[in-house]
Amino acid sequence: MTQQSTHDLRRRTYLKGIGFAGTAVLTGLSGCTGGSDSSGGASLELLHGWSGGDGQAAFDSMLEGFEAKHTDIDVNAKAIGGGGNTSLDARINTRLTNQNPPGSWTEWPGKNLEQFTSADLLADIGESVWSNNGMQNAYLDGPKQAATSGGSFVCVPTNIHRINNLFYNTAVIETAGVDLSNITTPTSLVAALETVSENTDAVGMAHSTKSPWTTLQLWATVFLGQAGAAAYDAFISGNGDRAAVADAFKTVAAYSEQFPEDASTIGWKEANTMLVEGAAGFFHQGDWAVGAYGPEFAFESEWNHVAFPGTKGQYALNMDAWVFPREGPSSEAAKQWLQYVGTKDAQVRFNTKKGSVPPRTDVSTEKFGPFQAAQMSSLQDSELQPPSIAHGLGVTPEVLTKLKQAVGAFSFTKGSADETAQAFMDVFN
Amino acid sequence: MIDKLTRFTKTITRRSKALFADGGTVQDGGDESALLPRPSGAFFGSLPFWLPPFLLMGFFVYGAIGWNFVISLTETSGFGAVDYSQLDGEQYTRALGDPTFIEATTNTFGLLVAFTTVCLGIGLLLAILMDRKLRFDNGFRTIYLLPMSLSFVVTAQFWLWMYNYNNGLINSITSTLGLGRYRWISDPELVLPAVVFALIWQFSGYAMVVYLAGLRAIPTDHYEAARTDGATTFGLYRRVIIPQLKGATISAAVVLMVFALKAFDFLYSLTGSYIPPEGSDILATMMVRQAFRLNNQAYAAAIGIMLFVLAIAVIAPYLTYQHKQGEL
Repeated sequence: MTQQSTHDLRRRTYLKGIGFAGTAVLTGLSGCTGGSDSSGGASLELLHGWSGGDGQAAFDSMLEGFEAKHTDIDVNAKAIGGGGNTSLDARINTRLTNQNPPGSWTEWPGKNLEQFTSADLLADIGESVWSNNGMQNAYLDGPKQAATSGGSFVCVPTNIHRINNLFYNTAVIETAGVDLSNITTPTSLVAALETVSENTDAVGMAHSTKSPWTTLQLWATVFLGQAGAAAYDAFISGNGDRAAVADAFKTVAAYSEQFPEDASTIGWKEANTMLVEGAAGFFHQGDWAVGAYGPEFAFESEWNHVAFPGTKGQYALNMDAWVFPREGPSSEAAKQWLQYVGTKDAQVRFNTKKGSVPPRTDVSTEKFGPFQAAQMSSLQDSELQPPSIAHGLGVTPEVLTKLKQAVGAFSFTKGSADETAQAFMDVFN
Repeated sequence: MIDKLTRFTKTITRRSKALFADGGTVQDGGDESALLPRPSGAFFGSLPFWLPPFLLMGFFVYGAIGWNFVISLTETSGFGAVDYSQLDGEQYTRALGDPTFIEATTNTFGLLVAFTTVCLGIGLLLAILMDRKLRFDNGFRTIYLLPMSLSFVVTAQFWLWMYNYNNGLINSITSTLGLGRYRWISDPELVLPAVVFALIWQFSGYAMVVYLAGLRAIPTDHYEAARTDGATTFGLYRRVIIPQLKGATISAAVVLMVFALKAFDFLYSLTGSYIPPEGSDILATMMVRQAFRLNNQAYAAAIGIMLFVLAIAVIAPYLTYQHKQGEL
């Protein structure tokens, strides 16, 4: 009996203890969130999606450079990773709906920003940021256009990934006896893919259809190579040519016969591994794929790349940019940050680690590897920098979601190509 | 120490007056009525116990649902404050005219019914087998229940491998049996059954445990009496045992249905995006896509309310049954 009662008493004491501890924790937390404003220097909250791997290393390096220059600014950076910016977008969405924007955050520039600019949530930084550090002259037209909305600058792009790459495994291509100089159009690639699968054990083209963006990206690149830059522009402005859209899908359908048979259950990284292991001859992907090519899979000797057939002289853009909110909590500190991310120092720090190239064309290639240096000169020499569709530069989020849904229903047959082309046309209506 | 503790408790707890440091027995001489709820003061006397949880639940759960309902009556989309000036059912009519919504509802309902029924069937079968006093039955029970402890993120990747066209186990089995290989995930006709199958694998162990508890609660006399009356094993289960598992069936079914409505996690993890494989869009994925990708908050709220109504409609028979049994 005694034991029972003391047991009960202890239990109550514990419960009380837990209650007090809980209250203390809550008080502590509210102290934390409320306390950040009271610190001496200016504080700056940054939200981004680089929560791991090369992205995190790249951001950390850039932040280090900023903090060394601006010791008075207390940076509170939050990495919200996962699902290719899905989680970050949802967080930004909620924060903006609650009229509580962070100091700055990353977005895909271009039409993706229309969701914010149409609600007048971003402010002009042409004077305060873009007039500094020779930025206006250092950026090419494509990236500059993506950074503007209605003629005024609203963000600063910090890195460019190229979309129109065709990677290949040199050993597989040589064994198959494919002559790359014959591949000048997206349709002529079909024959090369067939040659690879006939003459080797490898599949013609590694590809993942697990989520729709990879196929949307492939279609967009084929469309750009087949129908040309003017047709591409017309499509993203809502005046696409249905027949040309369908033709590009027919080419993708022809490629699909040379895809790995398990394309629907593998991710793009697994498809990339197929290229590394010599299980595939060709691979189309953004140049972030190179991040997985270690020292044992060397550039030029083991793998190489060409501009996707039909897109020579073009540098199809995928970019990340830091935006400037109109009602931001720390606009002076945010401007300092935006000025910094537009400098050579920041872009060298970020891009050497990220595997992308600086949007500034006046950055020395010295600190970059041979592949990045080659991409940098391709960018500088490019005549056109078409904005990506699958990565939101060329289309609004709503259009992008509908395009992805339409691609999800594409069954990689010629018959389905016409239906999907019609669905693409309907997206803009 | 114990004495000290007891004395401390005495000062703060009125009822502990009745406690003795040595025994802890309650001295109930003439004070018994104070311990039992008196009919007149019961309401006020019980307030401190039910009011805080009632308020918290009311505010954070039902208040949020109510607010969501109000938002679903507005036209909110994009950023900025919600405009409550004009409330109507436009989002609901929009949904009924949206083929994506109709497809998502059909898929949700199909998933719900197929998953719950098959899960219960397999669970019952396993439970009956388990109840035959097998050797290592504890081990088997753990094995069957284990998949439930895995998160959807893990099982989704696991089933992507299982359904792989070239080297997935499922296709290895079907091709060995001469049925050929299938593109389980990319074929719009097959993906929903494939998802249902994966979910059944994960949750039939739960149905088994619930049924097993129900079976163990049936007195041995029932078996013996049925045997004495000459019942066959099949007849015994059909006429005597399974009818007694009605309660277990209903409670397991409700939990399974709730899991089915939450299949969002699984579908999200399959592709890593808000667009699930063609043919497997359900209301939950559609709602999240509308809310967080397309910024159509009001439309997403309306989808949420309709999903809620579907969930209520599914649980209503259970509540009615419980009410009739006098357990509610």
